[in-house]
Amino acid sequence: MRPEPGPVLAFDTSAAHCAAALVSAEGARIAARHEEMARGQAERLMPLLEETLAEAGLGWRDLGGLAVGVGPGNFTGVRISVAAARGLALALGLPVHGIGTLEALAEGLPRPLVVAEDARRGEIYWQLFEDAPSLPASTSPALGLPGDVPRLPGLRATGSAAQALGLATLAPAQPLAVAMAQIAAARLAAGTLPQGRPAPLYLRAADAAPPSDPAPVIV
Amino acid sequence: MTRTLTVLGIESSCDDTAAAVVRAGSGPAGAEILASVVAGQTELHAAFGGVVPEIAARAHAEKIDLCIEEALMRAGLTLADLDAVAVTSGPGLIGGVMAGVMCARGLAAGAGLPLIGVNHLAGHALTPRLTDGLDFPYLMLLVSGGHCQFLIVEGPESFTRLGGTIDDAPGEAFDKTAKLLALPQPGGPAVETEARAGDPGRFAFPRPLMDRPGCDMSFSGLKTALLRARDGVMENGTLRRADRADLCAGFQAAVADVLAGKSARALAAMRARGLAPSAFAVAGGVAANAAIRARLTALCAGEGLDFVAPPLRLCTDNAAMIAWAGIERLRAGTAPGADLVPRPRWPLDQAAAPMLGAGKRGAKA
Repeated sequence: MRPEPGPVLAFDTSAAHCAAALVSAEGARIAARHEEMARGQAERLMPLLEETLAEAGLGWRDLGGLAVGVGPGNFTGVRISVAAARGLALALGLPVHGIGTLEALAEGLPRPLVVAEDARRGEIYWQLFEDAPSLPASTSPALGLPGDVPRLPGLRATGSAAQALGLATLAPAQPLAVAMAQIAAARLAAGTLPQGRPAPLYLRAADAAPPSDPAPVIV
Repeated sequence: MTRTLTVLGIESSCDDTAAAVVRAGSGPAGAEILASVVAGQTELHAAFGGVVPEIAARAHAEKIDLCIEEALMRAGLTLADLDAVAVTSGPGLIGGVMAGVMCARGLAAGAGLPLIGVNHLAGHALTPRLTDGLDFPYLMLLVSGGHCQFLIVEGPESFTRLGGTIDDAPGEAFDKTAKLLALPQPGGPAVETEARAGDPGRFAFPRPLMDRPGCDMSFSGLKTALLRARDGVMENGTLRRADRADLCAGFQAAVADVLAGKSARALAAMRARGLAPSAFAVAGGVAANAAIRARLTALCAGEGLDFVAPPLRLCTDNAAMIAWAGIERLRAGTAPGADLVPRPRWPLDQAAAPMLGAGKRGAKA
């Protein structure tokens, strides 16, 4: 007989926070932590995860799966969690589901919904979620301007840049890491394996410009 | 009696993602590199004329665990066979260091292994003990794309900096020279090849700080001198190949002169402290330059001192040196802490006056 599937641990440092959540294989919340912090996530993340496990009386080997926030968000913050997740996955032999910030914010909210997060420089990261087949399909996460969002009838908004859209707003239904853990638990229960290893979703290219002074022509 | 130690090393502080497994027997030397994987990023940065930190960090974050898996596979080991994980926790480009440290922390937590934070410079400085079993104390010239300093190495955590560059590292100067002369990156090998056909005496390049006592060096003025000399011989945006060869030869000769001259002073300074070096060792990519190496070899021959230059793959950035530094730390009994944090600035010699980046955040290296 197969052992019961273990719980799922999710964590995210894609913005000014350090968040973790533990849910059962069925998606029931066991423990959750969310600490606001502008910096220091690299120091705090692993102790936070161990505290979350300890609160539930669990060890690393009891886990059945991992979930990690892949952004979009703060580049360095996203890498902190993704790198830790890859290390943990290697040691524990567990699948890691990379979960997008926007998808996690949308979890449990009514559709049609747009999730908009502040991307600075006057831009937003946004994603449209729509269940009804008569309306445009859900979009992939994108970087753009508030004006890029199609004004569907009944559309509501959530996320840190929701106000800027001039739509009715909703608060997220779940703390971010709890939503990530539940999405991953649902995927595991459905037998959906992650497609490759978790990778940051940057949506914005690295700031780098080729040198401006041309090299001499050699004759 | 010391037991056999098997350590996984992880390195991601600049533009090489690396993992290695090193096993040390019970003797003082006799360590074996079971696997050493280095994934470079040269092509990612080529268009920008230098390492772009964000591009480097992105590559490290998605390659580091693959390198670790590859190293374990090549060594024929699993995590259960390891005694510890050692990771570069600084100094370096913080985004890359963080990717390596976080992956190592996850790995160590999940596998229940001790984690050792290693100073990247200590990795370079201890390499001659891995490759040649050198006894303490010895004199070390660390000369690479990011660093240039003289160190007295007296123990796994005992380093005294006698001097170093006050601005650019020589490797950086080679890269910039290559860029100014339309040669490919990395600049070291390209400039060296071009210099073979050139006349080192044609252009009078400066020997910065040679007129001052001490072991400090400066290379940024040399780069400016090269730019002026180049502009002086260019016509309508074109540079003759023979002129380029002379510029390369002159530049390389100036760097070699400074390094050899300052090395002689560093040796004298070490002896003046009552310390007899077991050897003079070099590390870093610039140590691969044959002209520079010849000068240092000649210097040591004249001083009756062994000259030790590890093979190039262990001179440039790699993770075997990090695993080895971890082994040295374990043997010295300095307890590793799992709570290590990434440090962009971390001078090896904490007591020496800062030379670089001496702002409120402290010395860089």
